[in-house]
Amino acid sequence: MAVANRNTIRGIVESRLATELADDPALPVVFHNMAYTPTLGSSWVQCLLSFGAGEYLTHGATTSASNRVVGVVVVNVFTPLGLGPGANYTIAKRIRDLYNRVIVSGVYFDAPIGPEVLASASPEGYFQTQVRVTFEFIEEL
Amino acid sequence: MAFYRGEEGSVKFDDAGSSAAAITSTRSWSLTLDKAVLETTALQDNYAGKIGSIISGSGSAEILYTASSADETAAFVDHINTVDDQGTALFELYLNSTKKIVFDAVVTSAEFTATIGEIEVITVNFETNGSITTTL
Repeated sequence: MAVANRNTIRGIVESRLATELADDPALPVVFHNMAYTPTLGSSWVQCLLSFGAGEYLTHGATTSASNRVVGVVVVNVFTPLGLGPGANYTIAKRIRDLYNRVIVSGVYFDAPIGPEVLASASPEGYFQTQVRVTFEFIEEL
Repeated sequence: MAFYRGEEGSVKFDDAGSSAAAITSTRSWSLTLDKAVLETTALQDNYAGKIGSIISGSGSAEILYTASSADETAAFVDHINTVDDQGTALFELYLNSTKKIVFDAVVTSAEFTATIGEIEVITVNFETNGSITTTL
């Protein structure tokens, strides 16, 4: 059964990450439009989800028809400077494993991209990598 | 003047040949109608003569596999596996909600594909049997 409500999709993606990062070792995770002031010297994760293009999938007008909708989850992993990439990649692996080719409630996650090292962290003062996961779901009209 | 887009199309089918029902998740269909040509040129004619003869058709329909048992979808997908096929399955190919081409046909092949990263597709090919009715 596919889902079409964008908030439902967002909930599936974000709750999966929040649940994982609540486990030991727990890490702060922030999402779109949330205020957060990171503590220098400690690791944290930022998750940004965006929906993308939709395309016709089957015959039919506004009923008995389906669209394919794609999206991307961008997860920024911040770890302290000067300690090498190991701790960062450990966190990134937890994130990759969460989504890697997983199908959850009609959301199809693709093979993840990254972790890619960003030359300039934003915000500064961290070693930052980025894991991106594209996904798609079927919107049934 | 009206134009139509492909998404307005649809496919109906009945393996029993009586009352066609919608096929779920069709993505495309196509139909080619052919007319055989008979040579009528006689000796000493200066120009070739031809007349139309037998009309036939062949086509295909693509559906996205949904494991649906509703309507006639399952029968449509599995019709290739019908033995002693008398060619009486009813096809209705719609250009929009009312414009259609209706005929009986034999399913001649079905291609099942499962490609990584893509939705699974079944392509059903058919050839018409008997009269073809167009409502265009």
